Amino acid sequence: MAELRRFIIRRLITFVPTLIGVTFIVYLIAAVVPANPARLWAGGQKANQQVVEMLIKEYHLNQPFYIQYYYFMKGFLENTMVSPVTGYKVWHEIKVYMPVTVQLTLISFVFIVLIGIPLGIISALKKDTWIDATIRVIALLGVSVPIFWLAYLLIFLFFTKLGWITLSGTPTPPYSITGIPLIDSILKLDWRTFAEVIKRYWLPALVLAYPGIGVIARLVRNTFLDALGSDFVDYIDARGLPRNQMYRHVLKNAMVPIVTVLGLQFGGLLAGAPITETIFGLPGIGRFMLTSIYSSDYLSMVGGVFVIALIYMTVNLIVDILYAVIDPRVRY
Amino acid sequence: MRCKDPIIVVKDLYVNFYTYAGVVKAINGVSFEICRGETYCLVGETGCGKSVTSRALTRLIKSPGRIEKGEIYFYPEPGKKIDIMKLSDEEIRKIRGYDIAYIFQDPSASLDPLYTIGYHVAETMAFHGVVQSIKEGIKKAAQVLRLAKMPDPESRVRAFPHELSGGMKQRAVIGMSLANRPKLLIADEPTTALDVTIQAQIMNFLKELKEKENLTLLLITHNMGLVAEMCDTVAVMYAGEIVEEAPVEELFKNPLHPYTRGLMRAVPKHVGKNVTLESIPGTVPNLIFPPPGCRFHPRCPYRFDPCDKKRPPLIEIEKNHKVACWLYAKEGGKR
Repeated sequence: MAELRRFIIRRLITFVPTLIGVTFIVYLIAAVVPANPARLWAGGQKANQQVVEMLIKEYHLNQPFYIQYYYFMKGFLENTMVSPVTGYKVWHEIKVYMPVTVQLTLISFVFIVLIGIPLGIISALKKDTWIDATIRVIALLGVSVPIFWLAYLLIFLFFTKLGWITLSGTPTPPYSITGIPLIDSILKLDWRTFAEVIKRYWLPALVLAYPGIGVIARLVRNTFLDALGSDFVDYIDARGLPRNQMYRHVLKNAMVPIVTVLGLQFGGLLAGAPITETIFGLPGIGRFMLTSIYSSDYLSMVGGVFVIALIYMTVNLIVDILYAVIDPRVRY
Repeated sequence: MRCKDPIIVVKDLYVNFYTYAGVVKAINGVSFEICRGETYCLVGETGCGKSVTSRALTRLIKSPGRIEKGEIYFYPEPGKKIDIMKLSDEEIRKIRGYDIAYIFQDPSASLDPLYTIGYHVAETMAFHGVVQSIKEGIKKAAQVLRLAKMPDPESRVRAFPHELSGGMKQRAVIGMSLANRPKLLIADEPTTALDVTIQAQIMNFLKELKEKENLTLLLITHNMGLVAEMCDTVAVMYAGEIVEEAPVEELFKNPLHPYTRGLMRAVPKHVGKNVTLESIPGTVPNLIFPPPGCRFHPRCPYRFDPCDKKRPPLIEIEKNHKVACWLYAKEGGKR
């Protein structure tokens, strides 16, 4: 246990340089784009020169980009950094938009686990039958179909034709514990809100999850078959253990690589969120970052990047801990 | 009948493997019996079908392999006869690991890396009803490991396979195989993957154990030294057939089959003397297209007329000494 704590502390310390690196690179890319951000923020062509100069002074735009970066990070972390476009503090924006993205990615992730893993197992158990072939085609499509194309197709079906879904607004319950309605409704056992959240999110989450489902189904199939072919399975048979017990061993062995990839898939979900949110009209952090880019509000954008990087690193830290829980050969 | 009280009787066993390259006729009409309490050895080169034969005894042949035909009878007690080929999957499962236990060649590959040694022992007992639950089994696991002479068994129960040395892993596997007090122990090259020093320890221990536990041992090996030390009766296999079977002294004193003689000459006897070891010319035949007649004839220095046409029957030349070779069959006696 002491080992585990040391490992977590060590990993948390590495968060700092990683976060600085990620935000610095993104900031650099945004800052070197030849544009006059102060003028854009002040209103473009008709901008008042006085306002432009105020903005330049306020955001240190006449200084080298690394000094700008320093002031940005300082302001951001002290929660004094105000978006020059929206006029809100960057953290405030994140707090408003983040819950939507968290709900979307969480539901997506649940879909990946609940659909991808069983599909892979069924595929492995029915190896070389038509069931296996069908699942493999579904999985292959998931990996290769662009999600925006699939999204519009499904919107046409479920929104235009069937009218089962809505494409605007998100359910917000009157109470707030974590700020995320999905989790709050579970904590409060408020199943009506929960159902509303699911109703709004299931299709975008499914679309977002589809590539991940494809990857996981293929991986589970292969690792399951691999584990099924191990020598220890022969010895389980030779000891006369029942089938269920054998599958238990096989599944646990197959889980080791799957958990790793699930962690990476979470990153894929976060990366796919801007497109999905935009298409399905979900006011999430991904869409917020996209609009920030359109309005050259790279301060808000880097703020979003910061939070997304933080989530991604946390998920992968959890994956690494799980990895060692499953596989005793892994040492911290 | 060689045995008054056999524990297992195999008659005319055929096993094929259906591969993409063709049908591998891995076991071609093997018959033998093992007497209760003896150590019976199967010897032969790699790929001659020793392991397949031993696994066929409890129908542990996985697809693409199939037991084509043959009879296998198991006598858990004298006079009580079980027809292995007629059992349901569930019934045969109950025999595996309970009445008939296995030790495989590579102990590292026999253990699931994600579970402790104690769990392995416990599940082996629990699913055969020897203990009520895996939890209870883990409590009793140390006792079982002590029987297998595992050093410091209490702490080994909680150890994972990768934390043990090869020899200790094999002791753990032996412990698992003995956990349910089997009547027949099938040891498939149990020491091949281990150091020489550990080999001796394990073999001595098996010998000791056999006497103490009243076990019958089927030992599969290609090590003639082990055969001499351990076995009561030896069957020599070649390309999926038993070519000679004899009590161990008889076989070493008077090997009859040309293949057995070749095997004997390929074993170094005098350490230090500058003698060249003889090898048997040629290679093991491809069992998709086995040679017609006697499967050994292409490599045999004594081959003559009927060898490449007709398969020699396994006939008894002297008491309990059987050989399948036309050299002896022709006159029905000695050459």
